[in-house]
Amino acid sequence: MHAPIPITRLDQARAAAGECVHFGFCTAVCPTYILDGEENDSPRGRFVLIKEMLASKAPPRRATVVHLDRCLSCLSCETSCGAGVNYRVLIDIAREYVESSRVRSLPDRLFRSGVAALLTSPRMLRGLRILGKPLSGLVCALPGRLGALGRLANAPGLAAFSPRGAPVLPAPCSREAPSPQLRSVALLEGCAQSVLGAEINCAARRVLARAGVRVVESRGNFCCGAMKLHLGFREQAIKQAARCVRHWGEMLAAGAIDAIAVTTSGCGSVIRHYDELFADDAELGQAAASVARAARDISVILAELPLPLANTNSGALVAYHDACSMKHGQRITREPRALLRKMGYVVADIAEGHICCGSAGTYNILQPEMSARLGQRKAANIEAIAPDVIAAGNLGCLIQISRFAEYPVAHTVQLVDWASGGPAPRGLEGFVPRPLAQEASAEVPAAEANGDNSAFW
Amino acid sequence: MANEESIRAFVQAVSGELGSEAISTGEEVLTRYGEHTLPGPDLRPAAVAFPDSTQAVQKLVLAANRYRVPLYPISTGQNIGLGSRSSVRAGQVVVDLGRRMSRVIEVNEALAYCVVEPGVTFQAMYDELVKRKSKLMISATAGPPQGSLLGNALDKGGGSGAYADHFGTLCGMEVVLGSGDVIRTGDGSLESASHLNWHVSKYSFGPYLEGLFTQSNYGIVTRAGMWVMPRPPHIESFFFTFPDDTDLHQIVDLIRPLKLSNFVPTQIRATNDLYLIAADCVHPEYGQSGGKKQITDEARRALQKRYGLGSWTVSGAFYGASRQAVQPQLDRVIAHFTRSGKGRFIALEEANEIAPLRISMNSYEGVPGEGELKMLRWRPGGGTIWFLPRTPMIGSVANEFHLASRGICRDHGLEYMVSNVCGPRFARGVHTLVYNRGDAEETARADACYRALALEFAGKGVFVGRAPTAYQGFHQGQRMSAFVEACAAIKRALDPNGIIAPGKYGID
Repeated sequence: MHAPIPITRLDQARAAAGECVHFGFCTAVCPTYILDGEENDSPRGRFVLIKEMLASKAPPRRATVVHLDRCLSCLSCETSCGAGVNYRVLIDIAREYVESSRVRSLPDRLFRSGVAALLTSPRMLRGLRILGKPLSGLVCALPGRLGALGRLANAPGLAAFSPRGAPVLPAPCSREAPSPQLRSVALLEGCAQSVLGAEINCAARRVLARAGVRVVESRGNFCCGAMKLHLGFREQAIKQAARCVRHWGEMLAAGAIDAIAVTTSGCGSVIRHYDELFADDAELGQAAASVARAARDISVILAELPLPLANTNSGALVAYHDACSMKHGQRITREPRALLRKMGYVVADIAEGHICCGSAGTYNILQPEMSARLGQRKAANIEAIAPDVIAAGNLGCLIQISRFAEYPVAHTVQLVDWASGGPAPRGLEGFVPRPLAQEASAEVPAAEANGDNSAFW
Repeated sequence: MANEESIRAFVQAVSGELGSEAISTGEEVLTRYGEHTLPGPDLRPAAVAFPDSTQAVQKLVLAANRYRVPLYPISTGQNIGLGSRSSVRAGQVVVDLGRRMSRVIEVNEALAYCVVEPGVTFQAMYDELVKRKSKLMISATAGPPQGSLLGNALDKGGGSGAYADHFGTLCGMEVVLGSGDVIRTGDGSLESASHLNWHVSKYSFGPYLEGLFTQSNYGIVTRAGMWVMPRPPHIESFFFTFPDDTDLHQIVDLIRPLKLSNFVPTQIRATNDLYLIAADCVHPEYGQSGGKKQITDEARRALQKRYGLGSWTVSGAFYGASRQAVQPQLDRVIAHFTRSGKGRFIALEEANEIAPLRISMNSYEGVPGEGELKMLRWRPGGGTIWFLPRTPMIGSVANEFHLASRGICRDHGLEYMVSNVCGPRFARGVHTLVYNRGDAEETARADACYRALALEFAGKGVFVGRAPTAYQGFHQGQRMSAFVEACAAIKRALDPNGIIAPGKYGID
């Protein structure tokens, strides 16, 4: 074994696995089990494989690695679990065990490390985007993971998130501070998002400024560690996370910020568990807990703030996609919908909301076939809505979905920005506002008043 | 139980006729499909079959007849606390209809019904209606969203809303009998290319056969029509909470007139404190007592205070054109439940902040959710048994059963957790016995508790309406022998070789 996992963590994993009492709710909601009905590609199957692997203290079997790699870490299983099993802990430790055992081939290890390095280094990502442009057509045609990476780099949705230049910050809509608890925030720029989704961060800055919340600039763009954690590179992930904890911890302790606004739910779901990540760290444990408490998804923050209504977006039909890192990782489902409705949108739920879109961090690069099937399934469900725009709180999901669904995509905060006076998200520039459905009168519902006699209320 | 040779030959035959994907004897598969939450060991099946059509089910049944192999059909196997995916006896071949028979065959907007296969779940049907921009809504259950709509109805399950009587909403089935014959019930039996009334009328010519295929083992239902209701423009949930255990007496008497006249269109639930609260927390004294004692009254009161709930919480909903339109009804119900001075109205804004009540609100909106089942972790170990009697809607009677049940649970060191789902004349008493299945002594207590409850109710003239697989034989034994013999005679007529689920609901 390369780097042994501390006994306390192995015990934690065994305890999590021991919590499973075989209800089987998880199996029915696991995307990979739903697709192929393979028991070892269900949470219950993976539990058994993980338990065997940890008990053996030997390098994992090849089949075990295959089934664990197919897990999306979407945590749909955790949400449905009636026994409260902490699947997140279990799969993270399992991935760490696999990586530390070095059972993968050298090319596989190099590819995974390369992807992790690329997506967590804005500089590398920026450079590769420029250099790789002339070759993009060629790369897209390649089979396997390289081709998947190429196709992702050419996803239609990426254009929606390119920056429009430095944001001109609007004046606050009210002179009064929005709330005594929230005057200043740090904004998580995100590694990949700062390059691929810069417009999302610009929109967040505009909306926060409009609401009278000051964004305190960070001393740099730190990676939260989520990407590497999910790939099993725990040590590296903790190093990255420690920098965030120190930085934001100091800002919080000094009273410079009241919260950390997160626009990438994949990051948010990890940052909000920093307390667990640093539970045994005497130096950073306390700061990590305060950072975890202060981290809030942008939709949760905005739901409580006063914002003007520009009415340019009225009646736009939004197919809202619950990113797994929002729905299962952070259990945030109500706030984004309430926020969008408050801002004049008509919000439609996408069928099979508990099933992942197949993005899942680096999953669409490392497991392109399974990922594509999930992407197509999500797109088919969106097609039934025929929305004006698809919204989500996570860049990765939006890029993935844009590959399969032919509708504009936008981050929730971009839609809020537009509705409160900002620019229209790309693809919605020509949108003509529609009147919102009239409030039903006390006696006669709107549908009946419009001549619909299919029901009588 | 069939011998190994018969099973092997059966598996080979099915594999040859329906393809290898139609049957599995994989080690992991057999282990998982034997798991359940009831007292007693897991019940490992001999194989698991995955048919994809009525014709495939028919071929399975014919092969099973040839090799004398017992089949145990399940829809999605999510009936946790009633048997899960496991067969009633070890060694049967589980027929998982949910995996490949999950089509919504029809949604009729004008006549408000759907036709589904057994694998269509509550979540899938909800999603399908959303997808179609349908004006219809399902009656969600408090059970798992991935539970089968049809399986629930065939087991006489219930839900929320005005169409909560899922058994009552069944109309028109296609069934593969134990003999291998395929029948269509009701107007579906007409020799005709079309059947206009199949899923809209229960008043067809001749005997009403559909009841035969609920809670029985006479056939495998491969599709059925189910009525669904038009989605109201406005759904207004309401909640009242009452402080004392014995308030159930007045609660039931207050609910009855509202249901007899259908003033409140939904079923009205009278749910006790722990049933609601357990969805959001675990037994606070379990470690201290080692699970040997029922939660103390002090701890129970502390939980009530923490959640702002009393001993009983009443919930229901109004449908109407708008909030204003339903306000007069709501005002009358508020006056009705608060008149004695004991009931407290919980406004929606407050209810929305109380997690267990939010679950109910979603359910009244027809949105499936797994929230209520979080109660299953009240005690560790994953043991769950549902005890499901029905009691008449008379306050004094309901209270008498409640006090007796509470005492029996206390005597067995388990919590009394119940939701009374009230209709006009009877209430379903949805009792949950949560216990540590990993603890043999606690498991034995749970088993004894279930039997004691069943005997207490039967002694007072009340039978169960539904039962976990492990107790179906026991309950059949509580019946008059002529009825049991009648069931057996029907079994012999429709399934002469006893192929389908022998022992299910005590019928052999």
